[in-house]
Amino acid sequence: MSDPQLTSVNAASLAGDNIFKVFGPKPARALEMAVAGVSRDDILRETGNTVAVRDVSFDVVPGETFVVMGLSGSGKSTLIRCIAQLVELTQGSVSLNGRDLTAMSEKELRDVRRNNMSMVFQHFGLFPHRRVIDNVAYGLEVQGIDRAARHKRALEILDIVGLGGWGDHYPQELSGGMQQRVGLGRALAVEPDVLFFDEPFSALDPLIRRDMQNELLRLQADMGRTIVFITHDFDEAIKLGDRIAIMKDGEFDQVGTAHELLSNPATDYVREFTEDVSRTKVLTAGHVARAEKSGDPMATIIVGAEQPIDTILGTLLSTDEPVAVRGTNGELIGVVDRSAVIELVGGT
Amino acid sequence: MIERVSRAPKWGIWALCVAVAVGLQVAFASSESFPAGLDHTFSDPIDDFGRWQQSARRTNVLFTGFFTPLSDMVGWALDTVESVLLWVPWYVLPAAIFVVVARTKGWVVGLIPAAVMVYPGLVGLWEVTIDTFALMIISVSIAVALGVPLGVWGALNTRVEKSIRPVLDAMQTVPAPVYFLPMLMLFGIGRVPATFATVIYALPPVVRLTTLGIREVPPAAVEASEMFGATKRQTMTRVQLPMALPTIMTGVSQTIMMALGIVVLATLLGAGGLGQEIMETLSQRRTGRGFATGLAVVAIAIVLDRLGRALAVTDRSKLPGRKVMAGAAVAIVGLTVFGLASGITEFPEVWSVKIFDPIDNGVVWIRDNLRWLTRGFNDLVVADFYVPVRDLLTETIAWPVLLWIGTFVGWRIGGVRLAVFSLSMMVAVGLIGMWNQSLDTLTQVVAAVILSVAIAVPVGVWAGRNPRVEAFLGPILDALQTIPSLVYIIPAVIFFTVGVVPGIVASVLYAIVPGIRITALGIREVPAESIEAAQLFGATRRQTMLGVRLPLAAPTIMAGINQVIMMVLAMVIISGLVGGGALGFAAVSAVKRSDLGIGFEVGFAIVAIAMILDRTTAAVADRLRPVAGH
Repeated sequence: MSDPQLTSVNAASLAGDNIFKVFGPKPARALEMAVAGVSRDDILRETGNTVAVRDVSFDVVPGETFVVMGLSGSGKSTLIRCIAQLVELTQGSVSLNGRDLTAMSEKELRDVRRNNMSMVFQHFGLFPHRRVIDNVAYGLEVQGIDRAARHKRALEILDIVGLGGWGDHYPQELSGGMQQRVGLGRALAVEPDVLFFDEPFSALDPLIRRDMQNELLRLQADMGRTIVFITHDFDEAIKLGDRIAIMKDGEFDQVGTAHELLSNPATDYVREFTEDVSRTKVLTAGHVARAEKSGDPMATIIVGAEQPIDTILGTLLSTDEPVAVRGTNGELIGVVDRSAVIELVGGT
Repeated sequence: MIERVSRAPKWGIWALCVAVAVGLQVAFASSESFPAGLDHTFSDPIDDFGRWQQSARRTNVLFTGFFTPLSDMVGWALDTVESVLLWVPWYVLPAAIFVVVARTKGWVVGLIPAAVMVYPGLVGLWEVTIDTFALMIISVSIAVALGVPLGVWGALNTRVEKSIRPVLDAMQTVPAPVYFLPMLMLFGIGRVPATFATVIYALPPVVRLTTLGIREVPPAAVEASEMFGATKRQTMTRVQLPMALPTIMTGVSQTIMMALGIVVLATLLGAGGLGQEIMETLSQRRTGRGFATGLAVVAIAIVLDRLGRALAVTDRSKLPGRKVMAGAAVAIVGLTVFGLASGITEFPEVWSVKIFDPIDNGVVWIRDNLRWLTRGFNDLVVADFYVPVRDLLTETIAWPVLLWIGTFVGWRIGGVRLAVFSLSMMVAVGLIGMWNQSLDTLTQVVAAVILSVAIAVPVGVWAGRNPRVEAFLGPILDALQTIPSLVYIIPAVIFFTVGVVPGIVASVLYAIVPGIRITALGIREVPAESIEAAQLFGATRRQTMLGVRLPLAAPTIMAGINQVIMMVLAMVIISGLVGGGALGFAAVSAVKRSDLGIGFEVGFAIVAIAMILDRTTAAVADRLRPVAGH
């Protein structure tokens, strides 16, 4: 599975500090009110300004997939544009590997974009007048890399994203899923340290979406980039995210791992999302394992700590014995028994 | 605001209007025509300026340093293009046209314009046609070279776009001959002023559609480019312009069609070419020849239209590969070399006469056998409408009454702003001494508009309700819309000789096309639920039409009538060329005699009429919109 062209260790850290974004005629006044804690609706009524992002801070560690989940109007799309510097922040800063992006000159920012980051878009944002290969090679082209070299690289990338042989076609000749593979390939071709995904799979039908999610997981397992991923789909967030931020009305309601959100929702809003989620898909054997006092495994059946419950459900229910849960290094983490599973499935 | 939405004007107000009108009529019954108090105020300085520039042409740095070199440069380009087109064997042009069209539209479609291109040669007009072609190539190139950057600038800068837009709007309402005088002033007579008049007239579509095209590029594509660290210039040249290209090309193709319309008219400036050929044959009463020349213009219109459409193609995946195109290019070069080497380059003379005689005879035969009809129509229009109405407006009714009615109608329809605008325009026209001529032109416009609407609206309604009629009319209307205005005058003159009637007939022919189009559109766009609702309540077809379809389509139909009026006005002015009289004749003779002062006055009067009519009908269309918003 591992692919030499994508393995990379230069994943970057990314941090946002107190990001505000206000749209409208009188941003200064609106910003003041937003900082003072006046509600979004009141600010809109009084100043005609929309506070799209309000006091958002985060830290993404190298190699982490950080998912921002929110419904339409939550400000998630604006947030990622703030992070990527596609829109100007009203207040706050974004730093990549400790360098403040908001303080950079146009040229410095352009260099960072050429070398350190790239983005995959919701409606693909492909260039219909360019062949697939030239779409993928676009980032290299604007860097001034010569045609032969960039085409060679683009062909490799096309193989990686499963589009080998499609280079000479135009994007509109491809299906939606394939088009987004082009978008993904275009982003990967420049070997970015940070990848931004703006609802990349929401325009695809469910089966294709699942394929693409798996594809991304596979690629990420190889390359270990830092990823910021925007979605409105909670299941997608759980599937892809190391950590998830739930965004509402321009603010983060809660940030945490899937397990943290499920077991300890901070607000009613977060709880609403978690209620419909099948716990057995999210929780792993490790999550529900009960520490065994004796430390001596009487159990003869062993499962891995990282396995989601639903994949070992059959095993668990077929035996009365407790099942041992072992970590990646073989150490005993605890045991799971049938009663724990019944509690999990039956409980809300 | 509520008052403006209500449709039925109060009787009292109209009674007051009539009372004031009667009062004014009684008071001013014996007065002369509008006192032209400012008759020489503007025209004399302009004449002085004209005389000055005649003498300054050789001395003033503005001319020696700018206009004259510019003029020389354009003149040189025109000569070069023309001599190249005449130097290559004649069949290379149709072959090249075939390749360009066939590249995007396929072999069969490509053959049509290539074959049509041969026609001017068949009637012995090859060289004249090449003249016109050269003028087209240079004018359109300049228009595109100016229009695309201007459009890009407008797309990038909203403030620029906002200041360009009204200028472009105005450029499109002003009838073509009005452009000619300033060009005459700056460049003298000949093909160069014609080129620049064409450039100005044809500029709006390419500017507009470039702006639109750039704006329509999906933001994600621009963001993506930006995200990869592209500079603004890289994003523009590699993403925005290429993605806007199909829209820009649509603009270019509209620009081409507008340019053709005016290039033919620019014969007034001494541009030569097909326009001059048409004017000469018409004035010499060489009926068949005039008709054949008109067809040559139509042929060029078809060729250019096809070329324009072929260029505005969106789907690149279906285009032939580079090898095929390289092969085609080699074939054309080969054809050229073969022609030059073998000496077979000129259009064979023997072909031309054969086709010309039957056209001539046919046209004469039709004209002679339709005389009973055309004579009667001519008398009806002139004796029963034009003369009495014109005399009523210019002699019987006192001018203050007309001012009052015009202002009052403007106020009722478009509020105070329109009233003030109409009043000031009318007063200005009167003061510079154009009052009677303007009313004369207005009478012709009214006659042509009544006839056009009487034809266009019923036909449009029919087409809007019956898809088969629309499918049948579609290509005919398409073809009619590509034909330059001057060509419409040819059949009108053939059947109605000279005077106001050919102008009116040409106006009707020219203007019914958009009238039918837009009416059909309005009727077709009436929501199906509204029709079904009416039918459920048991409305007859007639009731549905009068009660639902027509009222709901009324704003659109009114917009169509607005277009009809503007096109009629443009044509009535042009018909000054064939004895239409009034402002049109004044404009034409001013251009011919380089009479700047009068030309300015006439031009102003034409623009004033155009703007009053445009704003009034646009205001009516607005008022008819069912939901007034606020």
